[in-house]
Amino acid sequence: MGLLSIIRKIKKKEKEMRILMVGLDNSGKTTIVLKINGEDTSVISPTLGFNIKTIKYQKYSLNIWDVGGQKTIRSYWRNYFEQTDGLVWVVDSSDVRRLDDCRSELENLLKEERLSGASLLVFANKQDIQGALKPAEIVKVLNLDAMDKTRHWQLVGCSAYTGEGLLDGFDWLVQDIASRIYMLD
Amino acid sequence: MEPEEGPESKQPGLPAGVLDPVAQKKHAAMLDRLANLHQSRLEQSAARSAAAAASPAFESVSAFLDRFAESRRSVEAELQRCRALAADLASAPRLKPELEKVATSIADLDRLVAENSYFLPSYEVRSSLKAISVLKEALETASAELLPRKKFSFRNKTSKKDPGFLVKQIEETSKAATEKPDLPAVRDSPGFRNKEGSVFIKQFTVSEEGEGDFTLSDLNACEIYLKGRLRSLFIHRLTNCKVFAGPVLGSVLIEEVKDCLFVLASHQIRIHHARATDFYLRLRSRPIIEDCNGVRFAPYRLSYEGLEEELRDCGLGEETGNWAHVDDFKWLRAVQSPNWNVIPEEELMDTINASDIKEQIL
Repeated sequence: MGLLSIIRKIKKKEKEMRILMVGLDNSGKTTIVLKINGEDTSVISPTLGFNIKTIKYQKYSLNIWDVGGQKTIRSYWRNYFEQTDGLVWVVDSSDVRRLDDCRSELENLLKEERLSGASLLVFANKQDIQGALKPAEIVKVLNLDAMDKTRHWQLVGCSAYTGEGLLDGFDWLVQDIASRIYMLD
Repeated sequence: MEPEEGPESKQPGLPAGVLDPVAQKKHAAMLDRLANLHQSRLEQSAARSAAAAASPAFESVSAFLDRFAESRRSVEAELQRCRALAADLASAPRLKPELEKVATSIADLDRLVAENSYFLPSYEVRSSLKAISVLKEALETASAELLPRKKFSFRNKTSKKDPGFLVKQIEETSKAATEKPDLPAVRDSPGFRNKEGSVFIKQFTVSEEGEGDFTLSDLNACEIYLKGRLRSLFIHRLTNCKVFAGPVLGSVLIEEVKDCLFVLASHQIRIHHARATDFYLRLRSRPIIEDCNGVRFAPYRLSYEGLEEELRDCGLGEETGNWAHVDDFKWLRAVQSPNWNVIPEEELMDTINASDIKEQIL
């Protein structure tokens, strides 16, 4: 029995998924996590460090690591890469000026070997804001179509403010991870 | 009995004492079973030959074809009948079982071909199977027409929008992309940009299209009044400016400002690369600074007609004291960061009354 199959067995028993939420500051990572967990989102402070949330989702238990996106602490993101099953990249679709930053940070992240097997969900957040770029435009700007063909990825437009699109995104992510790790049980 | 038993027990292979009554019984039972088995085999083969005798004609191609054609006609007739039923509203509930019956007949036909395929020429097998698939298709179209299912659709994030919208949106983006590959430049959000020494007044009204974001960038020595509610505010590269704003429902992002004054109310505020700037804030969360120095903080000081109500609508009706709880990402120690401080009482400016400042056509 190989190591991989042992790991699969252990994961299967616990039905756990480890999900890493990253993205530039002000993109709405913490708001997404709290919204999906049904918590108050009106008094969230910018994340100084990280938050961990364990959420029961369908029959799985998601360990969501929500890591702060300020420039100073982006270099610490790599401390959270180990054993990540799903990567959630959050984009502020209304912050047109920093989309270049957003793309280059994502590119750097995807070069990371420890994340090479992780499913990638890109949330085009803040769709409720007038003038925000549409999901199809975000795909273009981030050049997602040029990504490595082996990567499982999906871009979902959402609004953490209204909650729209969040479940669509997480449904895809959880299904995709489940079909990889648990082989669709 | 005794003398007879004697020689028997001496028989080789059946030693006396070993062949006790239990074993004897077993032996008898076994013989019985064998006899039964033989008998049933005989019976079965007799039945088979009888059956073969009863339908000797069936193992012929023409007989099969006749029967197949007959079944096929009956299925077609049944389908016709279903269509007639559908035309009559009263009999509509009977439609479903009827259609199911047709499906069963088709399945029977399928089995008939399979059972007889061993003696049929391959052409006949193929053409029969083809005929069956035509029937299946006919049934499917009939049930789709006659019994429309509830519309099945994937849950779609854009379900609220009309389908034409999506197409239009894709067309638009592809058009935009072909015209200018640099998308961000095409779609600047509303805002004031690249100005010097001006006064800007903007009144935001709650409109049907909802609240939007607003940008102030590359301004020098300007005075900006933003009255009314905003969804989010981006501020980039301002020097020597004064910004007075009504409540921002979401977040404010400030980068690269110098020698400025900001009076802002918002859910969140992030300040990057600010020098020598004063902030008068009301916030629902803690403000953060990163790469700043000489920044000072104080409570919100703005008034105009209707501001109080707007603040309340945005959950900013009450002073939270958060303006003084600044997190400095460049100073993660417990002692006070040298990069910021609270504006002392005697240096606080007076509350700005912007009631008389009206939007002008600039």
